[in-house]
Amino acid sequence: MAASAQEKELAQLIVTSLNLEVSADEIDPEAALYGEGLGLDSIDILELSLAISKTYGVQLKSDDADNNKIFSSLRNLNDHIQQHRGQ
Amino acid sequence: MMRMFVEGIGLLGPGLDGWSAGRAVLAGDAAYVAAPTNLRASDMLPAAERRRAGVPIKLALAVGQEAFLQSGCDTRTASTVFTSSGGDNDNVHAINGILATAPREVSPTRFHNSVHNAAAGYWCIAAGSHEPSTSLCAYDASFAAGLLESATQVTIDGAVVAMVAYDHPYPEPLQMVRPITAPFGMALILTPRQSGKSLAALEVEFVAGTTPETTMPEAGLEALRIGVPAARGLPLLSALAGGKPAQISIAYFADNHLNIRVTPC
Repeated sequence: MAASAQEKELAQLIVTSLNLEVSADEIDPEAALYGEGLGLDSIDILELSLAISKTYGVQLKSDDADNNKIFSSLRNLNDHIQQHRGQ
Repeated sequence: MMRMFVEGIGLLGPGLDGWSAGRAVLAGDAAYVAAPTNLRASDMLPAAERRRAGVPIKLALAVGQEAFLQSGCDTRTASTVFTSSGGDNDNVHAINGILATAPREVSPTRFHNSVHNAAAGYWCIAAGSHEPSTSLCAYDASFAAGLLESATQVTIDGAVVAMVAYDHPYPEPLQMVRPITAPFGMALILTPRQSGKSLAALEVEFVAGTTPETTMPEAGLEALRIGVPAARGLPLLSALAGGKPAQISIAYFADNHLNIRVTPC
């Protein structure tokens, strides 16, 4: 399934905040963000968490048991952000 | 007196776009034409490090890489000495800005880059080196301190040492307080033994007491030497570019200085 408008917006935030050498359009919404796939590492995830907190007001905690699922793909990360916005 | 050999040179500064291009200018055989420093990302770095490295780090890596490409030395087995008055000045400014603004959340990448040996860390990843690395700062004597440390390691430890001196202007308002006039970097590959690739022998001597510094005869290059701590090494590069025996003096701390005798191989 193609990326939604919200997912495209989040993809752009990922590219900008991490200074990635790919464009937002190239991020497959269902591909892995961490390790294989987009190739992000632990510093990237910390940086991205800060950018998400500033942009969406959603706090992502390093000790959240669901982190593997939350950061598993652009789609899952966006779903998590949208569910917790404004809480 | 410490003796060693120069086997590779890197250079990047305003109007000095690499050692090959800048050599004739420093030898006085071509006119110096000031132009913005041609900063570029080193292709040595893996993608993740390349996108995190700040401009001053890229400057340091670019000159280190150029120097190694001329030499016959292996980046993996050379020790390194990095010297810079301010390190990643852009990053210092950015972190100061974040800390002065609520909610004071420092970017993990900026924190990661905030140590003075960030350039050394990126270099060791890029070069595949596990050898000792030293990172120094000594205000306006940063170049002399780096050369003294490198000479010590070459002569005492018998190490091949890559010395990288680099400095980058601060953004305002720090630039008002500590003006550094241009991005400038230079690197020397220093070896304990002469080889077929040796360019010159250096004899470095620490001398207590004041001696006039060797200056650059060209006004623009002299302004660069005075305006950037890393560029205090320009008279040494000029002597190496000239290809003739020379003796120069570079100021160190507290009115002390280094005498450097250059003998082409």
